[in-house]
Amino acid sequence: MSNMPRKKLSEGAEAEIDLKPFINFLVVLIPVLMLSAEFAKISIINLKLPEGRGSQTETAVKTPPPNDDSDKLLLTMIVTDSVVTLGAKGGFMPSLFYKEFHKYVSREDRGVEVTVEYDPSNPKKMPLNPKTRKPFTVYERQEIMLYVTDENRNIINCMYTKTNEMLTDANGKPMQKVNPGDTVYVLTNPRRMVIVTNPAQFVLKPLSAYDEMKNRLMKIKQRYVDVPDGNDIILAAENEVAYDKIVQLMDVARAAEFPNIAISKLRS
Amino acid sequence: MAIVRGRNKYATPKSAGLIITSLIDFFSIVVIYLMKSYSAEGSILTNADNLVLPNSVAISKPKEIYLQLAATSDMILVDNVPVVPTDDVRRIPQSVADPIVPKLEEKLQAAYQKEQQMVRLGALNKIQGNVIIQVDKNLEFDVLFKLMNTCGKVGYNNMNFAVMEREQ
Repeated sequence: MSNMPRKKLSEGAEAEIDLKPFINFLVVLIPVLMLSAEFAKISIINLKLPEGRGSQTETAVKTPPPNDDSDKLLLTMIVTDSVVTLGAKGGFMPSLFYKEFHKYVSREDRGVEVTVEYDPSNPKKMPLNPKTRKPFTVYERQEIMLYVTDENRNIINCMYTKTNEMLTDANGKPMQKVNPGDTVYVLTNPRRMVIVTNPAQFVLKPLSAYDEMKNRLMKIKQRYVDVPDGNDIILAAENEVAYDKIVQLMDVARAAEFPNIAISKLRS
Repeated sequence: MAIVRGRNKYATPKSAGLIITSLIDFFSIVVIYLMKSYSAEGSILTNADNLVLPNSVAISKPKEIYLQLAATSDMILVDNVPVVPTDDVRRIPQSVADPIVPKLEEKLQAAYQKEQQMVRLGALNKIQGNVIIQVDKNLEFDVLFKLMNTCGKVGYNNMNFAVMEREQ
């Protein structure tokens, strides 16, 4: 034994870890994880159709419902191709006029993006892909953006945080300007108070109708806490309104804590 | 004969070692990404072809297998079986107060009768009338309303909209 040659470890040589079992483990683990991975996560939105008011068609009523003398709010969001209005039993809030913009992203080249104003009078018109010079398809429409306008159809701007959260004052009014020392409220639920130290932290952007609608709904929720249907809202839409827009408005209602959403048709 | 340079001519030639550090780095990133999208529950909803679901912040998942109604731009499907072209639904006049899609109603009634039979056999406690509606995000509300009205007429009053979960 003593004659056997001995390997000498030279000074400073590192003992190498055998990585083969680890790689084997990873090679087995990756296919297992790929099999159980869920790349497109599908969720559901539950509708709560009000009973006996005609929305639930099994008990459809042909005549208008009798006058409701209860304390119910009967909050309704009316959506058309240029206006969103909130109404309740007592009346209507001022309408929110908006301009609609569609963002298209090319399927062939994800870097090609085009945002155009939507023309409700010509819904089939598609913008041209600047690279291929062919019109985009409706399936390339990525996002529908609604920007609030004034009575002259000019887009209203509002201050936003860098993370795209709207700023309001203490009364929930959108802010167009901030100064150092101002106390502002970020549109989260509940609202987050911020004291402005550096106005450059905020940016002036077109006021999104979704954000303003959330703002209004949160104010209504705060004011009418004790009504029996305080969690309910009816979304009444025109025939031509895209389903995508309806789902975005449903998200707004849920964010403002109106989880029981019913859908109804706006009859002309 | 090749000239052997160096002091030890009997030393075995060293093979060029495979550098696996970068491979392990790559594997680690893939594993982390896959673990992030790992789902123990799986998905009981199947997505119909040519159907783009709208994005939403909703996160609730269907607990049971419900009847699936899908509306694409060209076809209406029940449990992934084509039933009626979407254009036929569009052709129903908008002025009709109680619009019904006849072929869809027929198909839904058959499914509803199956549920009734299951209740009679004791496999179900009661008729639940649940339906998951998958609608292409570019379809107009008119089509959706007619489908919902038909579902409600048959007795499928517990309606759920399938949406694509948006990254928060």
